[in-house]
Amino acid sequence: MMESLRLLAHDLALSGGLPASFQYGFVTNAVLCALLVGPVLGSIGTMVVTKRLAFFSQAVGQAALTGVAIGILIGEPPTAPYASLFGFCVLFALALNFTKNRTRMSSDTLIGVFLSISMAIGASLLVWVAGQVNVHLVDKVLFGSILTVNDLDIAVLAVMSGLVGVVGLARYNRMLLASFNPQLAKVRGVQVAFLDYVFVVMVTVITVASVKIIGAMLVEALFLIPAAAARIWSGSMRGFFAITVAISTVSTLVGILAPMEFDLPIPSGGAIILCASLFFLAATVSRLFTRHAS
Amino acid sequence: MRDDIATTARGPSIHIQGLGLTLGRSSILENVCVDVVPGTIHCLIGPNGGGKTSLLRSLLGQMPHTGTIRIDWPAGRRIGYVPQQLDFDRDLPMTVDDFMAITVQDRPVFLGLSRRKADAVAEVLDAVGMSQKRKRRMGALSGGERQRVLFAQAMLPFPDLLILDEPMAGVDEVGSQFIAKAVLDIRAKGTTIVWIHHDLAEVRELADTVTCLNRTVVFTGSPAEVLSPEHILEIFSHAHHHGKKP
Repeated sequence: MMESLRLLAHDLALSGGLPASFQYGFVTNAVLCALLVGPVLGSIGTMVVTKRLAFFSQAVGQAALTGVAIGILIGEPPTAPYASLFGFCVLFALALNFTKNRTRMSSDTLIGVFLSISMAIGASLLVWVAGQVNVHLVDKVLFGSILTVNDLDIAVLAVMSGLVGVVGLARYNRMLLASFNPQLAKVRGVQVAFLDYVFVVMVTVITVASVKIIGAMLVEALFLIPAAAARIWSGSMRGFFAITVAISTVSTLVGILAPMEFDLPIPSGGAIILCASLFFLAATVSRLFTRHAS
Repeated sequence: MRDDIATTARGPSIHIQGLGLTLGRSSILENVCVDVVPGTIHCLIGPNGGGKTSLLRSLLGQMPHTGTIRIDWPAGRRIGYVPQQLDFDRDLPMTVDDFMAITVQDRPVFLGLSRRKADAVAEVLDAVGMSQKRKRRMGALSGGERQRVLFAQAMLPFPDLLILDEPMAGVDEVGSQFIAKAVLDIRAKGTTIVWIHHDLAEVRELADTVTCLNRTVVFTGSPAEVLSPEHILEIFSHAHHHGKKP
């Protein structure tokens, strides 16, 4: 299916229906990824921001670094160590949530501790395994490299996006209510503790699936920045959601295509987040001016 | 207390026997016995830290406790719950309508209020005088207005048992009148109401039964009998004095 899509894009590019760069298969791959990553990370991002889990999502994103190191250590391909990535990150997120439910420690302290431990393990392992692989391959996982995305990566991303989309959207209201007031949510039949775990796993799997496009270090930024910008510009949850998804999709597309079109030697992840940051900057400045004016 | 209640009530009776609750090493509730008559307003009063909220949470099945709580439901089992507050960022673009959608429907809030629920939501927001502010952000409301919205959600679906955790705290005069009227309307339909309240004048006016709780039941009865000024002064000053002891 992927092959026929690429052929179609190729033919359209030759006949002038699409920009010339679509002659290349990797451009079609990249655009497909952008159209998956943008909307999904954006919509989950509205929940991350509403539930105030920004720091948590950052911790999970950086746990991916450790996942990559473990993958290389046990002999997985360095550009697609999915078993270790999913394995370690899901375990990390579940352990963090479990501990959070069972201690009275404030959650930012706890996340900080988990983040530090995971970074320490990841950094130690990465230096240890650095001799075994071309270090530039590790760069690609850390900062994103859209050019190396293959059919396996797209398939993983598509399946995870579908799963997260279906599960997350069906329980969107319940997950928000659980964070506004757990007692009220329970009275209304929401399984608060269970949905907490579901959400944590959702954030984790979609983070891992996006690592190739945005990179382990930056993927959590796409949860936060579009939603943070949209929050300034919107007056209702409908606007908040729509603007977030729009910013995140446009940023992903621009961040992926611009470096290719203009031949810039920067990683896709960096370009995506820089583009999203421009929206955030614009939102913040516009708010300053409207406040000043009023 | 009214005589007609037991026959017309749709709400449950509640029998709490020897309820005890310990958190860590501190005893929160000891040997609490309370009976709530169906279709009445039963107010819980008492000093802060006296265990009122813990009793409600035990009643909701959200706290591990000793002793028994028996709720006899004659018909439906719908519980409406009004919490003290909501935990959310004040600049979240969540309007009153959005909040109602989040609580009453499964259709994701960003798709808007579902058409099936729209009339009912309009009705309950009207009942608490918030129909003019449906497009306002929850964070931009006053504390009292937010409480009225919290009250409105508890009316959807219409409850057989209504549990209120001090919704009048920080509510302005207009707001408390709306809530008081709505509670009386709900009682008129036979719902059982358990209500933590701090305003004794209002308790005297609204409650059918009042129970004063300070770790255990200090007194219980009809407000006219038990809420004499001397009685109250004695109880609260005693509790205060007791609390100050090392």
